[in-house]
Amino acid sequence: MSKNGVLLFARNNSVLDYVKQAIFLAGRIKTYLNIPTSIVTDSTDYLINQLDGESIFDEIIPIPFEDGTNKRFYFDGTLTHKRLSFKNDFRASAYDLSPYDNTLLMDTDYIISNSLFKSCFTSNENIMMFKESYDLSDTRDNTEFDFVSDCGVDFWWATVVFFKKCESSKILFDLIGHVSDNWSYYRRLYQIQSPMFRNDFAFSIAIHILNGLIGENSCVAKLPGKHYYTIDKDLLVSIDDDYLSFLVERKDYLGEYLALSTKGQSVHVMNKFSLERVLYGRTF
Amino acid sequence: MDERLEKALDFSKYMVTMNNQKRILREKFNENLLYFTEGSQFTITKELITFVSMLVERDIIADVVLTDDNDRPVMIPNLENFQDELLEKYFQASNEYFNSYTSLGKKRSVEKLIENE
Repeated sequence: MSKNGVLLFARNNSVLDYVKQAIFLAGRIKTYLNIPTSIVTDSTDYLINQLDGESIFDEIIPIPFEDGTNKRFYFDGTLTHKRLSFKNDFRASAYDLSPYDNTLLMDTDYIISNSLFKSCFTSNENIMMFKESYDLSDTRDNTEFDFVSDCGVDFWWATVVFFKKCESSKILFDLIGHVSDNWSYYRRLYQIQSPMFRNDFAFSIAIHILNGLIGENSCVAKLPGKHYYTIDKDLLVSIDDDYLSFLVERKDYLGEYLALSTKGQSVHVMNKFSLERVLYGRTF
Repeated sequence: MDERLEKALDFSKYMVTMNNQKRILREKFNENLLYFTEGSQFTITKELITFVSMLVERDIIADVVLTDDNDRPVMIPNLENFQDELLEKYFQASNEYFNSYTSLGKKRSVEKLIENE
């Protein structure tokens, strides 16, 4: 019988605690998907300390600690931001590191609130990702999530990736590793303005190459549902089981927000500060 | 501020929140219309229901090939069962949508609109 599970990557920077986010998410995965979760982290000792004897993770997979040279702005609502390291360059090794035959690879800031992804594990597809996304505010220009650049290729979200251990998945992940290793070349080739490495871009470029360098896609299927998200200029206010409430940026009114709530919908919460405030009352 | 304008602005906040919540309910309804069988995903649409009903009416039931949401051909061994499950899921989703939508209309403040029931 094939082994199913979720794989999370958690590499803290000087401010954000991805390990704690992962612990929280593993609990929700147990509730909504009832499958094991493994974690890849460069902070094993810290993680074990946080777990306090609990065994929420199936496997803890250590990777070497690096300071991280990739920097980006993290917003906390519309008026505050910090420039912090963004350690996202290990995702290509997910295929080799995953202990599962069928893996759901997930960002730690994806708040799973339903069991829709259960269907992935009975699916005929080898690789599944989100192409369609939906900004909960519904007022912003989100064309940056349609294509990787103005004249670029289709944008695919790397927030959640389902893959089976098979030849096509192996080729995809190896190719993502190659794109990552040669990022300054590929970002220019694909006309990506920002030098910052993003997994969404690396996956999108790799998918384009695997599709024979044409727009038509046949190598990646779509994950069930849509990729719902709030950006880091929005605020997460509360989580109560499958109920999430937010304050979303009010278009053209800097510093003003609109209240909004979801029930039973999984949401990618990009504001990690507000996520950590809600998860364990952290102050920044 | 003129009291009439103040009231109108307050009401506009309520209306924007109401419309946002309606929009999110519609999204949830669409998500609830996903049906999984034979390792494939089908979005339940009125078109799919009508097409399947037409095939069943013509007694085309065993080993019918349909295309799923990823445009892959899928062999459905028993179309009658498929139709039953499709309809059950459709009405489940529609009823949930109806109940949530109706309940939203009865809420008279921004706080009530976003509260967890």
